[in-house]
Amino acid sequence: MIQKKICMLGGFAVGKTSLVRRFVTNVFSDHYQTTIGVTVEKKTVAIKDHDVMLMLWDLYGEDEFQHVRDSYLRGSSAYILVMDGTRKVTLDTALALQQTAARTLGTVPFVSIINKADLQSEWEIDDGAIEQLRARGWTVLFGSAKLGQGVEELFLSVATQIMHGSPLPTERL
Amino acid sequence: MSRRLLHSVPSDDPLFNRVLSTLDIAVFERDEHSGEFQLQGMAPEWWRMRVGLESCAVLDLEQWSPFLREYLALDQPARIAEPVIIEKSGPWAESDRQGGAMTLEATILSMESRTVLLIERLGPGFEQMRSIVQRARERMLAEDVAVKSHHKTETRLIGQLEASERTKDDALALLQHLRLAALVLDERGRITFVSHRGLELLGVSTGEVIGREWEEIIPFHLQDRAIFREMIDAPSDRRTAGPFYIDSSHPAWIELDIHRDPRHPGRQILVMHDRTELHALRRVLNEQASFHDLVGKSPAMVRVYQLVRDVASVDTTVLIEGETGTGKELVARAIHSSSGRRSKSFIAANCAGLTDSILTSQLFGHRRGAFTGAVNDQQGLFEAAEGGTLFLDEIGDIPPPVQTALLRVLQEKEITRLGESRPRKVDVRVLAATHHNLSEDVVRGSFRADLLYRIRIARIQLPPLRERREDIPLLAHSFLMTICAASGKTIDRLNPETLHRLMSYVWPGNVRELRSAIEFAVISCKGAEVAPSDLPPEVTGISAAPTPSHWIPLQERDEKTRLLAALSDAKGNRTEAAKRLGVSRATFYRRLVELDIHPR
Repeated sequence: MIQKKICMLGGFAVGKTSLVRRFVTNVFSDHYQTTIGVTVEKKTVAIKDHDVMLMLWDLYGEDEFQHVRDSYLRGSSAYILVMDGTRKVTLDTALALQQTAARTLGTVPFVSIINKADLQSEWEIDDGAIEQLRARGWTVLFGSAKLGQGVEELFLSVATQIMHGSPLPTERL
Repeated sequence: MSRRLLHSVPSDDPLFNRVLSTLDIAVFERDEHSGEFQLQGMAPEWWRMRVGLESCAVLDLEQWSPFLREYLALDQPARIAEPVIIEKSGPWAESDRQGGAMTLEATILSMESRTVLLIERLGPGFEQMRSIVQRARERMLAEDVAVKSHHKTETRLIGQLEASERTKDDALALLQHLRLAALVLDERGRITFVSHRGLELLGVSTGEVIGREWEEIIPFHLQDRAIFREMIDAPSDRRTAGPFYIDSSHPAWIELDIHRDPRHPGRQILVMHDRTELHALRRVLNEQASFHDLVGKSPAMVRVYQLVRDVASVDTTVLIEGETGTGKELVARAIHSSSGRRSKSFIAANCAGLTDSILTSQLFGHRRGAFTGAVNDQQGLFEAAEGGTLFLDEIGDIPPPVQTALLRVLQEKEITRLGESRPRKVDVRVLAATHHNLSEDVVRGSFRADLLYRIRIARIQLPPLRERREDIPLLAHSFLMTICAASGKTIDRLNPETLHRLMSYVWPGNVRELRSAIEFAVISCKGAEVAPSDLPPEVTGISAAPTPSHWIPLQERDEKTRLLAALSDAKGNRTEAAKRLGVSRATFYRRLVELDIHPR
């Protein structure tokens, strides 16, 4: 079976672990439990008749206490940049992490997601900022790990890009 | 390597095993031939629990997270190339066999060609560090929420403030646009706000008024000030007061709406309505309908009002002519009240039927002993009216000697008391009235021509009521109100038929007779409306129809007036006038001659 390493990158408390858990076990917890180190989860998906095992590397959140090691990124087929729509600072972190990832991995597919769509009324990341990300060539999805919205689409989009180099059609939530 | 290590530190060496057990670390050495990691010494308890006793000896990477496999595979050639390498993997999560989770960290020691792998289960120290990071991040998140909340509150408050400012600006703009004169007083009656129009109305600038008490700023008259003070102290939320006269640089009449500020009941909002124009219009209207105590808006009376205003502004003698009851004394009073002498006395004297000595004494005064009964010095009416106005009614009836004395007074402006020789200066304006035709009296020799010319410098002729019938409803209503107010009766109107009767009657006694008729009707009236039956019989029985007059039997009436009235009603037709009076044409002609009436 094809195995693909995908790194979850983003600032702390943006919902990386929640997205992975929602995707792998369909579970969500409101209680924030910070990730220290790395947790690797696996899930097999079917992409155009091929079973692909996604090795989801849930890395600790980037902040002043922990910086992502380049070594963790090595060997990744793709990465997912997660942002928290209610905290604009997480967009800046995502931009910095994307540069690190690009430097380490070269040109590999990546997808970004603005999480916490269930709190959209409190979002600080506005349409202008999103347009700027798209102008950089980013695929920007919207989702809510809490509600399960956009989660499957996120991982399938990444898997598809890995397998075929072309994204699935995406819709803004 | 393992052999050499075993040679140097045997796996069954109790000390070596005790050290490993104490450190709780699994130690492996890489076999350079097979590439497998072989357990060295005693495996720690957690390791045996995780993999089982039978799998303890060799590290089976398939049983572990891909993290460990990748860690070991990463940069292996580089590690071999370096003489000494100590490299930590960083923590990663593994599940145990009981479904729980544990955090491990691997360390590679690479010396020369030998590679040792240490795998440590992170314990309390790591959990403590995780807890610190967790708390720090939670605090950062909480601070972020708090900052956002503050920002949101600040934004909301700024928004509210801006909205409030906008509302205030809009209200102010509206206030200014509507040219509404508004003023706000605080609890102590001090002015806290005045609109532009309010400033204009009060003739002041903002700097002059803010913080000052209203009593210093609003130039009310004394009486109005007291009324206004009562109004603002009144407990009701909205009060209306006025009109008040504002004696500012631009005098104005204002009405006031006083509102209590609903948010601060101690504060009062005053809205001033400029009623100056309305007041002026109302005054003009009132003046057209009445002038002082004169009532009427007929063209004839409006001309009289204008004449009164004209003569009031000069200080000449005026002759007021008119039939009895037309209001000659009221005209005299109106002239006095409109003149510069209004603050001084107005004295009216009826000159008819008095002997020359009595009249002389009355007018000029006398000295004690001047005649029998003159027990004291007595000043006359001229002296009593000093600075004011003396009204001489029925001047045509003054005896000739008094005419002479009067002429002297008018010419010299001095009087001499009876019994005295020393003249006294007087400053009196003389208004005279008569129902005579003084020109005819002069021709007949009963009145001095020079006195006539002296008193007739200005002349006002009052129309008889029959020549201004349109004033009858106004007069009747005015008398009704006055008489009801005095008598306490509540009669508020005249029946249309009553009014018709009043309009039809010829009123030989003029306005005085009309007033008497209304007084009679008020006494008779039992309801809220004066019925024709309430009127005096002479009024109800007469009409303008060409039937014999019912007022003929009233012998006390002035016959000359009746004849003139009949002629007037018959538009000068003597036969018709005689018919109206119920006398023959011959009798009518005879009486005209006898009464010296020469109709045109």
